[in-house]
Amino acid sequence: MANVILRRNRPGIKTEDWSNWPDESFEEMDSTLAVQQYIQQAIRHDFSSIEEILTPPEGQDEGVWKYEHLRQFCLELNDLAVKLQSECNPETCTQMTATEQWIFLCAAHKTPKECPAIDYTRHTLDGAACLLNSNKYFPSRVSIKESSVAKLGSVCRRVYRIFSHAYFHHRVLFDEYEAETALCKRFTTFVTKYNLMSKDNLIVPILEDMPEPGESEA
Amino acid sequence: MCWCTSHFEFGLQVKVMARIAFLQGERKGQENLKQDLVRRIKMLEFALKQERAKFHKLKYGTELNQAEVKVPVFDEEDKEKSFDAESLTNSTNSNASWKQGRQLLRQYLQEIGYTDTIIDVRSARVRQLLGLQNQTDDDNRPLVNGEQTGKRPSETQGRRTGNKKLTSVVQSALAESEESVMSTFDFLSGEQVVDEDEENLSDGENEENGTADDDDEDRLEKRRTKKILGNESMADQGIDEVLTADPETEEALAEFDFLVSESGEGAGEARSQGDGTDWEKKDLSPSEDWGVDQQLISRLTEQYRKERQKGKKAIQQRPKRSTLQDMLVNLGNQDDSSVQANSVSSPRAGNNMTSLDDSGEYDQEELGDYGRNRVLGVAGPEDDALEAALGLGELADLTVNNDVDPLNYDINSPKEAFRKTWTAKYTLRSHFDGVRALAFHPVEPVLLTASEDHTLKLWNLQKTVPAKKTSASVDVEPVYTFRAHRGPVLCLAMSPTGECCYSGGADATIRCWNIPNSNIDPYDSFDPSVLQDTLDAHTNAVWGLSIHSSRMQLLSCSADGTIRLWSPGTKSPLLNTFRVEEEEGLPTSVDFVRCEPNQLVVSYSSANTYIFDIETAKQIIMLESKQENEYFLSPLESGVAGQINRVISHPTLPITITAHEDRHIRFYDNNTGKVVHSMVAHLEAVTSLAVDPNGLYLLSGSHDCSIRLWNLDSKTCVQEITSHRKKFDESIHDVAFHPSKPYIASAGADALAKVFV
Repeated sequence: MANVILRRNRPGIKTEDWSNWPDESFEEMDSTLAVQQYIQQAIRHDFSSIEEILTPPEGQDEGVWKYEHLRQFCLELNDLAVKLQSECNPETCTQMTATEQWIFLCAAHKTPKECPAIDYTRHTLDGAACLLNSNKYFPSRVSIKESSVAKLGSVCRRVYRIFSHAYFHHRVLFDEYEAETALCKRFTTFVTKYNLMSKDNLIVPILEDMPEPGESEA
Repeated sequence: MCWCTSHFEFGLQVKVMARIAFLQGERKGQENLKQDLVRRIKMLEFALKQERAKFHKLKYGTELNQAEVKVPVFDEEDKEKSFDAESLTNSTNSNASWKQGRQLLRQYLQEIGYTDTIIDVRSARVRQLLGLQNQTDDDNRPLVNGEQTGKRPSETQGRRTGNKKLTSVVQSALAESEESVMSTFDFLSGEQVVDEDEENLSDGENEENGTADDDDEDRLEKRRTKKILGNESMADQGIDEVLTADPETEEALAEFDFLVSESGEGAGEARSQGDGTDWEKKDLSPSEDWGVDQQLISRLTEQYRKERQKGKKAIQQRPKRSTLQDMLVNLGNQDDSSVQANSVSSPRAGNNMTSLDDSGEYDQEELGDYGRNRVLGVAGPEDDALEAALGLGELADLTVNNDVDPLNYDINSPKEAFRKTWTAKYTLRSHFDGVRALAFHPVEPVLLTASEDHTLKLWNLQKTVPAKKTSASVDVEPVYTFRAHRGPVLCLAMSPTGECCYSGGADATIRCWNIPNSNIDPYDSFDPSVLQDTLDAHTNAVWGLSIHSSRMQLLSCSADGTIRLWSPGTKSPLLNTFRVEEEEGLPTSVDFVRCEPNQLVVSYSSANTYIFDIETAKQIIMLESKQENEYFLSPLESGVAGQINRVISHPTLPITITAHEDRHIRFYDNNTGKVVHSMVAHLEAVTSLAVDPNGLYLLSGSHDCSIRLWNLDSKTCVQEITSHRKKFDESIHDVAFHPSKPYIASAGADALAKVFV
């Protein structure tokens, strides 16, 4: 017990001390949630060093790696949704749109519906939470069936629309959020790296080598 | 005259001498009784050891180290008896030793009778020897249950030769002076018998064992079938045995009232104890192979036991049994616990608590119901339980005394309703990160969870997801997700009406929510009015919330060092602010003192707890626990070793309960400020506490992945359930009782919440 560090956020700690403990190497993480721990540790280390965050530990199962990252994206997107709730109301954003090209229908309903953007955002995150926690498709966080890994792509596509809506309709809010989290950049890198979305759908010009939206539409 | 006097004196002397002789004899008799009692205890111990050895043999096919097992009197009888004793192998075993004891007793009593005519030592001795011999045979008779008669003769012959030997030894001893014989005889005869039997055993051991194994196998089978088919007859037989035995005893030992009742008790005790072991054995033996309905058996066994109890009570109504009964109970318990410890494969070995593995299901059933019914005070089952307890008569006391003794649980387990226990039923999956807090709706089967994923979720336990057919638990999907916090949500409080709830977060805010209807469409449109209000006077993480049961008042504690009292929904909601010296560290948890409407209790990372007067904002008393922190986790961690993670007030008593990082749960008297009880409650830090609405049971959660249910009266653990997995070094963040329905819940760092029914 001599020099054991207990990594706990004990009641009473200040917000700035949250998860403020020495890093634990992936080999030493014996928990079934080791991948989540590893990803969160990397994000806490430096949320902007996307390469580091997206580099899996050696020998890591890719399905689980992608799954845990997507969980983390959805978790952090809750904050974007909170921001949107204060600004994006059903009167102004009656439909889920990014560019004028598409109206996205909300897949959370039995028959896809034209939900207002804020509802689409909430429903998509709620739906993703249910799917990613589904005992049917993801009974384990240690190993994941191929057929379930295939489901991650569609979750990515839907979740990405929240970024694109914020970028095109609530730019100030988006920029503020992106400065705090670099989440859209990380997400875009993530789906590109693991080929979870087609490049055509990545319409937010967040990466350096991406064309400006005006150019792509021209 | 002189002659007369001397003659008179001589007469007196004779009388006095006779009197002395009589008293001496009586004393000897008493001594013998004492010896006998000791011997009987030893025999009971032996019977137990033997049973254990046999069980070991059955289970593993290897002999237990027999050298350990010292053989007392009439060992073979024990063995044989166990073969023919229908289903109650163990009990008859103990029963047999009881009978031996009785026989010995009778023998000693005869001795006492003879002391009147102690002058003729020789004739007394002869009769004694004859008596010994006769009794051996006599006593075998009631033991015969039909089947064994074939075996008897050889058995008895062996014994006769033994007795002959004994006789010759005694006769040779007679050549010595009468005095010396007198003083040594009892001792000698006792020893002889023992030696004899030891020899016999060692001779017969090898061949005996071979057959014994087979017999046992057969017996096992027979026993099971017998049980299904002829429970009634079995029960009757059992009763008859007791009934016939008792008058006999009465006759022989009429003048030793207490002993009789004791031996009667002893029989009952031994038997019920035996039943317990039998149950245990059933539990462990591959019972599935026989396709036997275990519950049926247990119910019938129970029925039988009760009948017997009644029968016994009818004939036996003697006083003075309490002392010896207690002694025997103690003895029995000791043995029970040692059985417990010895049976390595026992699912509950060395532990009174159960774990919630699927494999241990049967086990839990047996144990858990106990706590459950007491906690909830559910009307129906409670009455039944009461009845059951009353029906048990004196044994009911026993059970209460030995609450924690697992073997005693089956005594109260016959009723179906009573057998119910806390088992995981609902798994609440939808959070992306650790669940920090949970709270039940006051009436509905509805609960709220707060998570490190920045959201709160509302769950309706009546809206479940179609589950996999293999799993025992069902999944629930949330009906609503509350988004407003900009960081982990750390604490939660539900209003007494169930209409509002309050959540505190790492973002220093307290959010007041209108709870949507629990039948809402999860994908309904966003309603901004769900977020009713935000209380934002705190400047750092809000770690604790508590709501008053009748006033619309809310308490919060924060890492900014303050405790605040709020009146949510009013124009200026902040009513008051409380602080202590900085050296106490930061407040970790807060609660209203439930039995004093104007007091609040708050715990600090320093391991101290303060009670404040709400009106004056003055400290009333400090509940100190600093001085007894003997568990330091490491130099690095020592600062938090005694930290209090949760403080709660007992719903009705002036008692404060605290959960500590050093694995303790401590109980304080609010009036004196002193610790009234302190216990190591978990293997790791205790994080959360909840008291059931009746104030009888305490639920605790810990980073050791388990939740434990405690009897607040005896401070003993009634059930342990492994519930969540670890994330880093955290596992369970919160536990809760439903205020009016039989639900308990736990919230885990593994992003799950679980509800137990």
